[in-house]
Amino acid sequence: MMDERTSYADRVAEMRQAFDRSFAEPPRSELRETESFLAVRLGNDPYAIRLTETAGLFADRKVIRLPSPIPELRGIAGLRGAVLPVYDLSALLGYPSASAARWLVVARGASVAFAFEAFDGQLRIDLTAVVSHDGGTSREHVREAARTADLIRPIVNLPSVLAAIGQRMPAAGQQREQKR
Amino acid sequence: MKREWTFGRRLAAAFGLAVVILAVMAGSGYRATTSLIENNGWVDHTFQVRTQLANLLSELLDAEGGQRGYTITGDESYLAPYQAALGAVQTSVGNVRSLMADNPVQQQRLTGLAPVIDAKLAKLKDIIDARRSQGFDAAAKLVADGQGKTLMDQIRSTIHDADQEEATLLQQRTQVAEDSARLAIAFTLWGGLLGALAIILIGWFMTRALTRQIGGAVGHVRSSSAELQSAANQQASGMKEQTISMNEIATTISELLSTSRQIAESSQRVAQIAEQTASAARTGDGTVDKAHESITGIKRQVDQIVGHMLELGKKSQQIGSVLDIVSELAEQTNILSINATIEAAGAGETGKRFAIVADEIRKLADRVAGSAKEVRGLIDDVRSSVNTTVMATETGSKAVDAGSRQFSEVAAAFKAIASLVSTTTEAAREIELSTKQQTTAVEQVNVAISNVTQAARETEASTTQTLETASLLAVTSSDLLRLVQARAEAA
Repeated sequence: MMDERTSYADRVAEMRQAFDRSFAEPPRSELRETESFLAVRLGNDPYAIRLTETAGLFADRKVIRLPSPIPELRGIAGLRGAVLPVYDLSALLGYPSASAARWLVVARGASVAFAFEAFDGQLRIDLTAVVSHDGGTSREHVREAARTADLIRPIVNLPSVLAAIGQRMPAAGQQREQKR
Repeated sequence: MKREWTFGRRLAAAFGLAVVILAVMAGSGYRATTSLIENNGWVDHTFQVRTQLANLLSELLDAEGGQRGYTITGDESYLAPYQAALGAVQTSVGNVRSLMADNPVQQQRLTGLAPVIDAKLAKLKDIIDARRSQGFDAAAKLVADGQGKTLMDQIRSTIHDADQEEATLLQQRTQVAEDSARLAIAFTLWGGLLGALAIILIGWFMTRALTRQIGGAVGHVRSSSAELQSAANQQASGMKEQTISMNEIATTISELLSTSRQIAESSQRVAQIAEQTASAARTGDGTVDKAHESITGIKRQVDQIVGHMLELGKKSQQIGSVLDIVSELAEQTNILSINATIEAAGAGETGKRFAIVADEIRKLADRVAGSAKEVRGLIDDVRSSVNTTVMATETGSKAVDAGSRQFSEVAAAFKAIASLVSTTTEAAREIELSTKQQTTAVEQVNVAISNVTQAARETEASTTQTLETASLLAVTSSDLLRLVQARAEAA
């Protein structure tokens, strides 16, 4: 009991020192080239999303469902004063539609949000650890993979996903016109 | 009815009947004889009356003869019969009067006769006086007037009538006396014959009845004496066996006596041990009371522990709620830091330093989240432990309750045991006392058995004597039956 208490006190002290040190140290220059990723799970499989391809991360936002010919469109959500369409990222990657997707990520440079099931955290990975993943998976929109200490996460290419959505939109509009 | 009569009653009845017959005969004979005597008395009476009448007439004739002799001779000596007759006539008249008192006709006749007799005597006196004073002629003259003869004839006639009357009565009374005599003879003869016949008949009936009854009774006596003989035989053999058995019983009683003494010693030891046990039970009772108080204290402490643990569970739940807020805040901080990093990446070189800060905030948020997760695990462990502890404590509380109840039962049982032990002590003492009394009783029984054995031997001897007596009785009853049946056959 005493050992555990000492251990917890040590950890608290270490955390406090690290936090203070981060402010005390001068701005350090990155010695190695790194890149930030969002570690997510799609259909229970680990994936990574480049932070530079995102414009924001949100949790537990209300998504209003809309009738749509695109089955991957979950609805619309109000994010930072704008109404954005929300697509199911798992469905777009060929997984069954996720029943409960509480996380939303907004794509950079496009007013589109993607919903996914779980968020594992933020990763900072050496560029050397980012490898091509062309022959490793059959999933669409996955061309690279980020290798972490314990596993390999395929990297979802959001621009590719956006392009695919953009390609499907005219087809959807034509279908709508034909129905009219 | 007659069959139920006893011999004495039957004999009394028979003799009573004979006595009645004899009494009837005696009474009838007495009455006939009395009547005969009475009638004979009347006959005598009649004879006396006739004798007195004859005497009276004779005396009057003597007086007349004396007067006549004196008148003829003048000699005074002839007057002697006259002088004697004067007194005798009056006496005879008195006798006749008294004898005829029962006959009014004769009385009346005598009443009429008396003045005539007086007149005759006066006449005689006048003649005598005339002869004496005036001489023979004067006297002859008085005689010749016939008055004296008339009076005499009248007297003779009256006495004759009275005598005839008495003769008639005599004849009647003689007839009656003869009838009475015949009746008495008849009673005596026929009554005697009838009485003898009746007594013979009674004797015959009595002999027959008694012979039959006594014969039956004697037969019963003979069969009973045979049975008695058989029973006496069995009794004799039984008494021998009884004597043997009594000897065995005496031996067994002796062994029982020694065993009883051993039991008395053992029960004394049991009583001592029971007293020691009772003392130990009293000490144990106090210990049980103290233990009961301790268990009550334990129960109270356990209840407090349960209360505290429930409170701890509630606090843990509150900590979990607070931890949920912390986790949510960490998550929000993480999201904010990521968004800040995204924004900093969009800000170019300027945002790089901000990105570093944001990254530090994110790391901190990650650590907070990790710590919160760890705390969550710890809290869960604490809650699980609390739940386990509460359940265990409640189980313990129930166990303590059950234990308390069981201990109460144990205490009650122990008290009951203590009470029973004291009862056992008393019972052991009573057993000891009873066993001593039993030993004394067995000793008395031993003495009694010895007496009974002696009595059995004496009874055996008596039974042998009884057997002999029964045999003798059987022989006697056979003889008696033979006598009775022989008499019956003879009768």
